Amino acid sequence: MPKQLLIEDHIKRNKRLTLVICALMALLFIGVIFAFGYIYFGNIYIALLFGLPIALAYVAVTYSFSVNTVLSAAKARPANPSNREEKLLIYKVEEMSIAAGLPMPKVYVQDSDNINAFATGKKPEKAVICATTGALRKLKTDELEGVIAHEMSHIKNHDILIATVTIGVVGAIALISEILFYSLFWGGAGRGRKSEGNAILLVIAILFVILAPIFSRLTYLAISRKREYLADSNGAYLSRNPEGLAKALEKIKNDIPKGKPKGSKTVAPLYIANPFKSQSVNSIWSTHPPIDIRIQRLRSM
Amino acid sequence: MDMLILIGAIVVVIVVAFLLIFWGYYNRIIRLENRIDNSWAQIDVQLKRRADLIPNLMETVKGYMQHEREVLENVTRARSALMNAKTPQENIEADNMLTGALKSLFAVAEGYPDLKANQNFLQLQDELTHTEDKISYARQHFNDSVLGFNNIIETFPGYWFARRMNKKTKDMLQIPEAAREVPKVKF
Repeated sequence: MPKQLLIEDHIKRNKRLTLVICALMALLFIGVIFAFGYIYFGNIYIALLFGLPIALAYVAVTYSFSVNTVLSAAKARPANPSNREEKLLIYKVEEMSIAAGLPMPKVYVQDSDNINAFATGKKPEKAVICATTGALRKLKTDELEGVIAHEMSHIKNHDILIATVTIGVVGAIALISEILFYSLFWGGAGRGRKSEGNAILLVIAILFVILAPIFSRLTYLAISRKREYLADSNGAYLSRNPEGLAKALEKIKNDIPKGKPKGSKTVAPLYIANPFKSQSVNSIWSTHPPIDIRIQRLRSM
Repeated sequence: MDMLILIGAIVVVIVVAFLLIFWGYYNRIIRLENRIDNSWAQIDVQLKRRADLIPNLMETVKGYMQHEREVLENVTRARSALMNAKTPQENIEADNMLTGALKSLFAVAEGYPDLKANQNFLQLQDELTHTEDKISYARQHFNDSVLGFNNIIETFPGYWFARRMNKKTKDMLQIPEAAREVPKVKF
């Protein structure tokens, strides 16, 4: 079974990479708190006292609001089993949850002509999978299965947790940086500092804190893209059919969206393909990897 | 005296570390083994569900397909084989038989436009296909679980603990090639 081994290798590689990037994010965060302390108090540890609580509170708030916000932003409604298309969606979700060994998620539908789907939920036991009516109408059974397998993998990999926590950390870093920026502007910084600090080091620390939000945002996007690749390869492992998702992605690429996409932009990383941007651009600013490369990787499995 | 305390401390640390590792592996092996049992139960549920749907299907089809006695008999025979199966492998074989019999039944049904317009039949067909898919995914999950279990008890250091726990590798279910194909029945 050389094919399956290849999928497993993809999974392993993506997991390792996420770990490295998450470590980078943590280092960045700790670095910001230390630098903040250095600039303000000349002592790198003192900022931990309030830096960490701020960050934790930020993450907790984002986390506790996540599920309902996502569903209402997407204007999603529960799938209706008396409609044949939506019943087939429920069937597919059930099949994939069996393949993944997970409890059955709740199934939602979003009325939209575009082909898309997303998963949300705080833990695998209380997950939600939502597909657009466009996806139900335009995708064939094996393609829909590929998409659902991708979403099921997001649930199994705890990607929703990873996404909300990293968004929280990005927000916390931005907050700290902003506090520093404004206090420097108003000349409040260094009030408590002893004068023995190294001037060059101080400038570097200030620059670091000011630039940190950009880096943390980029790190977050890199994590998001890695998780997409991971969900693609995991999904292929679940459905044992990488071609299904590859064909679905091809359809998404060639599908010309009608009308404005619904929902808020913060939700974009959760979707199988970003509903707000063109898919073929390879940029460090995108939430998803370019669709062509995803298709290429799936076909190489 | 100091030397003795040092050596004693090192021994205690090593023993504690060993116990912690053993504890971790013990729980992991047991958990993976339970997952295999659980995934078998999942297959069993779906097989029962499928067997339960057959009488309804026969009832619906009977009026339209009097002349296809052989096809109908094959389905009934496969179903009773499934009901009487005892071991997992017997179950799986009977289920494969049923899959084949149903496939030809649905293929034959293509020639009966009245039957194909019957809502009841359509619903049963959907549900049977769905159950068939669920069975094949449940088997796949069973095999994934067996693979996870075998991997841990065959590699170091799990191998070493598994020997002491008297755990042996388990067999995967053989999935026939035909069952992996996308069902050909048209909707």
